[in-house]
Amino acid sequence: MTTSAEPATPLDDATLVSRARDGDVRAYEQLVLRYQGPMFRLAVRMLADRGDAEDVVQEVFLNAWRKLGQLGDDAAFAGWLYRATTNRCLNAIRARKPQADVDLDTAESPRADLQPERAAQVSGQLAALTAALAQLTPEQRACWLLREVHGRSYEEIGEVVGVTATAVRGRIARARAQLAEVMKPWR
Amino acid sequence: MAMTDYELPCERDVDQVWQRLDAVGAGLADEHELTCPHCRAARESLLALREATSVLAAEEDVPSPDLFGRIMSAVRAEVRRGSMVPLPTPEPGFVEVSEQAVAAVLRYAADTVDGVRARRCRVRADGEGAIDVELTLAVRWGIATGGAALPMVRERVTAAAAARVGLPLGRLDLVVADVYGEPE
Repeated sequence: MTTSAEPATPLDDATLVSRARDGDVRAYEQLVLRYQGPMFRLAVRMLADRGDAEDVVQEVFLNAWRKLGQLGDDAAFAGWLYRATTNRCLNAIRARKPQADVDLDTAESPRADLQPERAAQVSGQLAALTAALAQLTPEQRACWLLREVHGRSYEEIGEVVGVTATAVRGRIARARAQLAEVMKPWR
Repeated sequence: MAMTDYELPCERDVDQVWQRLDAVGAGLADEHELTCPHCRAARESLLALREATSVLAAEEDVPSPDLFGRIMSAVRAEVRRGSMVPLPTPEPGFVEVSEQAVAAVLRYAADTVDGVRARRCRVRADGEGAIDVELTLAVRWGIATGGAALPMVRERVTAAAAARVGLPLGRLDLVVADVYGEPE
């Protein structure tokens, strides 16, 4: 049995959510700090625009605060955020003007923490992947990102995009095949 | 079973190649996989994708530093104040404290007990100068029956109500709603 002092251990989501629902802003702060990064990264990859991604994340957390009372299972907070972020991104893409499609100025700059040669290779691969992601349909991109980057389950992704888990598997497999085709020149 | 329409000229599907990636990597390739150039090309692309994906997943790209502040000021603008509890005062006029503020103090008192995390805290004035409290708790594995922890929670919450809020506890209901941590 551990004897470490309680406050040193980060509190579990369910505890923070139930406190936040009681109006405890401090508890909600911790949830925002815990999840704003992953939600932002999902939104940036969906939208290819950092400003739009931040807007989405801000709306997601404000709306989540308003609707905490409707969350049935306190431990399901993370899944709830992923769903809200994905849906807002899909809506934002639908609302965009048709020609204003993803402009890839998010292309990676070479990473400083790697050897130059290796960094260039990694950057090249990432740039290729980023460009290839933009060629997927938004729904396919969402499925692929949620699974391969954020590690969510097929069932959960199915609920987000409104199809069965089997259909999600199929979409991700097709997305993977499409992405792999683009990755070819980088080997 | 093929999940995609991405069939290679050798009639295997890209998804099949993906499913077999680790097996082939571990030297368990079948006759076809050893010799087929289409399968090999597909494998190389998929390996490149897998590598790029793991780099993408490991990226610690963070939002601008002021996003957190923007989120929290929007949240604070909508703080739910909840109901108020009257505090005893000898002066004319009245003093009230929000139930949320009382709840925060009581939760903090319960948190000081090792193996206990306070969750929901309902505070109601009982109309006779005391408060009724229902406190929901999560307790660590191994003390699920409460042991000495629950009487200690009761003691500390009662003391905090009197000493830090100035209100006697009429009734304190403790509800153990969850268990956290791993079985030992």
